[in-house]
Amino acid sequence: MKKGIAEFSIKRPWIVLGIAAIITVFFAFQFPNIKIDTDPQNMLEADEPTRLFHSFTKSEFNLYDFIAVGVVGEPSAFTVDMLNRIYNITAEIEEIEGVIVEDIMAPSTVDDIKQGGGGALVIEPLMGDEIETEEEALYILSRIQDNPILRGKLASEDGQAIALFIPLESKDVSHRVSEEIREITGRLGGNATYHIAGLPLAEDSFGSEMFAQMAYSAPAAMLIIFLLLWMFFRQMKVIVAPMVVAMMSVIWAMGLLILSGFTVHIMSSMIPIFLIPIAVLNSIHILSECCDRYKQIQDKKETIRHSINELFVPMLFTSMTTVAGFISLALTPIPPVRVFGIFVAFGIVTAWFLSLVINPAIAILISEKTLNKFISVEYGGGPLARIMRGFRNLSLRRNKLIIAVAVVVIMVAGYGLSQIIVNDNPVKWFKQSHPIRIADNVMNQHLAGTYMNYLVFVGDEDDRMKDPEVQTYIESLQRELEKDEIVGSTTGLPDIIKKVRYELFSADSAKLALPDDQTEIAQLLFLFEMSGGDPDDLFKFVTPTYDKSNLWVQLKNGDNMAVSAVVDRGNSFLAQNPPPEGVEVKWAGLPYINIEWQRQMVTGMRSSLLSSYVVVFIMMIFLFRSFSWGVISMLPLTITIMAIYAFIGYIGKPYDMPVAVLSSLTLGLSIDFAIHFIQRLRTIHKRTNDLRASFDEIFEGTGRAISRNVLVIAIGFIPMLFSTLVPYITVGSFFLAIMVVSGLVTMLLLPAITRTFHKGLLPVKAGGGTSEESDQSTVEAKNI
Amino acid sequence: MKNLNTLLMAALLGLALFAGAASAQTAEEIMKQSHLAYYYAGDDGVAEVGMRLIKGDKERNREFTMLRLDNAEGGAQKYYTYFKKPSDVSRLTFMVHKNPEDNDKRWIYIPAVDLVKPISADDKNSSFVGSDFTYEDVSGRHWSEDTHTLKEDATLDSSAVWVIESIPKEKYKGFARKVSYVDKASSLPLKEEYFDKKDKMVRIFTAERTEEVDGIMTVTLRSMENLKKKTKTFVDFSRIKYNQGLTDDLFTERYLKNPPRQFVK
Repeated sequence: MKKGIAEFSIKRPWIVLGIAAIITVFFAFQFPNIKIDTDPQNMLEADEPTRLFHSFTKSEFNLYDFIAVGVVGEPSAFTVDMLNRIYNITAEIEEIEGVIVEDIMAPSTVDDIKQGGGGALVIEPLMGDEIETEEEALYILSRIQDNPILRGKLASEDGQAIALFIPLESKDVSHRVSEEIREITGRLGGNATYHIAGLPLAEDSFGSEMFAQMAYSAPAAMLIIFLLLWMFFRQMKVIVAPMVVAMMSVIWAMGLLILSGFTVHIMSSMIPIFLIPIAVLNSIHILSECCDRYKQIQDKKETIRHSINELFVPMLFTSMTTVAGFISLALTPIPPVRVFGIFVAFGIVTAWFLSLVINPAIAILISEKTLNKFISVEYGGGPLARIMRGFRNLSLRRNKLIIAVAVVVIMVAGYGLSQIIVNDNPVKWFKQSHPIRIADNVMNQHLAGTYMNYLVFVGDEDDRMKDPEVQTYIESLQRELEKDEIVGSTTGLPDIIKKVRYELFSADSAKLALPDDQTEIAQLLFLFEMSGGDPDDLFKFVTPTYDKSNLWVQLKNGDNMAVSAVVDRGNSFLAQNPPPEGVEVKWAGLPYINIEWQRQMVTGMRSSLLSSYVVVFIMMIFLFRSFSWGVISMLPLTITIMAIYAFIGYIGKPYDMPVAVLSSLTLGLSIDFAIHFIQRLRTIHKRTNDLRASFDEIFEGTGRAISRNVLVIAIGFIPMLFSTLVPYITVGSFFLAIMVVSGLVTMLLLPAITRTFHKGLLPVKAGGGTSEESDQSTVEAKNI
Repeated sequence: MKNLNTLLMAALLGLALFAGAASAQTAEEIMKQSHLAYYYAGDDGVAEVGMRLIKGDKERNREFTMLRLDNAEGGAQKYYTYFKKPSDVSRLTFMVHKNPEDNDKRWIYIPAVDLVKPISADDKNSSFVGSDFTYEDVSGRHWSEDTHTLKEDATLDSSAVWVIESIPKEKYKGFARKVSYVDKASSLPLKEEYFDKKDKMVRIFTAERTEEVDGIMTVTLRSMENLKKKTKTFVDFSRIKYNQGLTDDLFTERYLKNPPRQFVK
């Protein structure tokens, strides 16, 4: 098979290129049909119970995802000027398309329950009209502070900040709506700072910034890789091949993904970034090999045949191991990760195949003259060659030291792994300096929080929520949850009942308690509905049939760790104090969904990583027909994964979605160098039958190819380090770390081990009968 | 010749202006008639009212007895409501003194705590007992608050109707524009469409059933659909009696606690 493919490319280069171009155009034409999806909710299956219950809660209680606008006054937000500005800003926000006008929470829209003239119970907007005096401004602040439903939520205790909550028809308008709000506050804002925060905004903005980022970093990486290749090979025509292979692989994979009807999620948007290095790696090996061999062979076709022949098996295995790393993602319970894994795997297979056909096809079209120039620049000297010789000498002379260092690294890393913190927060996908992060910090410092979880009480029959026992229970749960410092406020039906009762009895503070009579609760709630209170406000907390009730748990921190702590606190209270008979209690809310998919992701990724590790190990034993070589080949991979994740553990970077998914990439890429190294070392050793001579040759050829790869990939992704989005920085850093660590381990530890145990690993055969095993691997490759 | 032309032009112009004024007059006149026919039938009235508040597949019910006394045709009115269902609010009573020139006055009696409490009446657009009808839908918005235009004569479900557009004279939260289909025969509104400031239709009133009671054409089943919230309320009037000789003293605090048994059973 391997000869057939390359032969055809050598004989009919134009046909191969033409067919590849047609297929590429076909896939490129799928791009306009792209469907983008940035909703982290889709990290869970559509029918996942947590997600279903969240949607159910939203529709049962008419809840919408919201963004929060924070106004921080200097020194106070409760002045005539500021309140009137906020009044007018709110009026304009009401005009924005996609805003749920009825549910906006702002001083001019929320109802206040209070005593009117003649002892009347009044429910009316907190700020019905523009105001004129500072007394009115302070009165509004005092009304907020006197209202458990608004306190801390609408204004900070000190009156410096005001929050407006803007509910949205759907999450995917939040970025646009926030831009329109920025325009309004910029025009009408006056002397105050305005912040816009909220999970939907972070999620939606991440989506739009992500695609901008993609449009920048994928081409930037391509450009830098191109420049680096040019530095190495100095021949434009030669280095076109890897670029073509990389681009085609990306277009085929993305085109097929779009054609298959999948949405491009945050994960799948990274497919190009993942495929480019993998595609380039194979081509660099072929180019390096051709470059090194052409000098000796001096025949174009023969050089290509020889190189493909030499590299076919290692390339097959490096690709298959990477496929194994990514295809294992198909086992995770997270749909976008599955899609990502499958299509990266498809792209890798494509890249492997295209490397085998496109590289020869392009190479054959290059004149012998160009090729001569091409090698004359490179061969022999150069800093890379010198460094490689240094590595060779180091691993030969200090082999035991290297092994000792490796053992220490593994031990230190083992401890570091135990330090890993699992945490995620979509807001923190933005850099510290990003406006969304700043808004998140400022608002959660001043106000009750921008993250909303819900705790839903499901009763067994209508009117169950009027039961005083149930309300008392909800109230005690509120007090328990509020002990957690990230819980900014809890709001539920008990607060409304108590507030109505308090105002009904002419603001008698003795009446600021739940009644113990069900009829009274029923009538107080009816009074609220009768006296101008918007029933829709009430039905955010209880269903119209009073069979379910919803407790709002407002959080100042959206970190999954912090949210989990609150959920755990609630759950242990529920376990110790079972709810009244017939009442079930369940969580909902975006932060809760996030902790749920994180939990599934962590367990899913763990089993996916373990299974692909085992698969790769088996593949290695099979490839090398040797258990010991199988074990050795796993070392660069093992040490790289351990070192990178231990580093993450030590510096306290949370193990989040990108970090989790990158374990597959680490696994797939860091085995590659070992495969090339060991496969070639054994082939060479069979020929030379001498350790020293084999080392000379491998550091000259394969060593240079590996070091070129390390440089190209590590440097090629440096632009990603300057991204405003943290996951991109993470991915860029990973590429760098994977290349450097696995490159170093391959070029130092593997030779050191070989040197130390060479008698067992590379037995010197008497009489030089050498080609037997080499043929075996050829046969085996044919069978695949 | 020239003078004659000028005169003719002036006459035509005058006629046009008059015609325009006449149409405005007619539209307002129609709305006034409609208001009186719908809200001021007879001098007083007593009815059993059943309300069905529908949202999706869920339904809530309210039942109450309603008493109404007109103090002046098109002017002050008094309403008294005695709740029977839901059962946990039974015996709860509610009273409104409507005064078109000023804010309404409202009182509620809470039997569970045996307390009469005046309640605010500032916002006429708030929901009436949680239904899709507002207080104003129940007691009426005075025709003089809007500018009315007769858009066309049309036929609605085989009834000849005037189609009238009403636009509030002052900025108003309840609606930005309303289109009424007023039955030419009875002057009753058969349908009303409410539009918000983005000119999106948000609510539809429908007279579902019209009957003659004591010689007075009466809408006995009405509905209000909220297109935004996707909710709908049906209000069914039964045992309607007009001109029962209700007196002002029935509409006082005393009767909130002790309902007038001759009317409230």
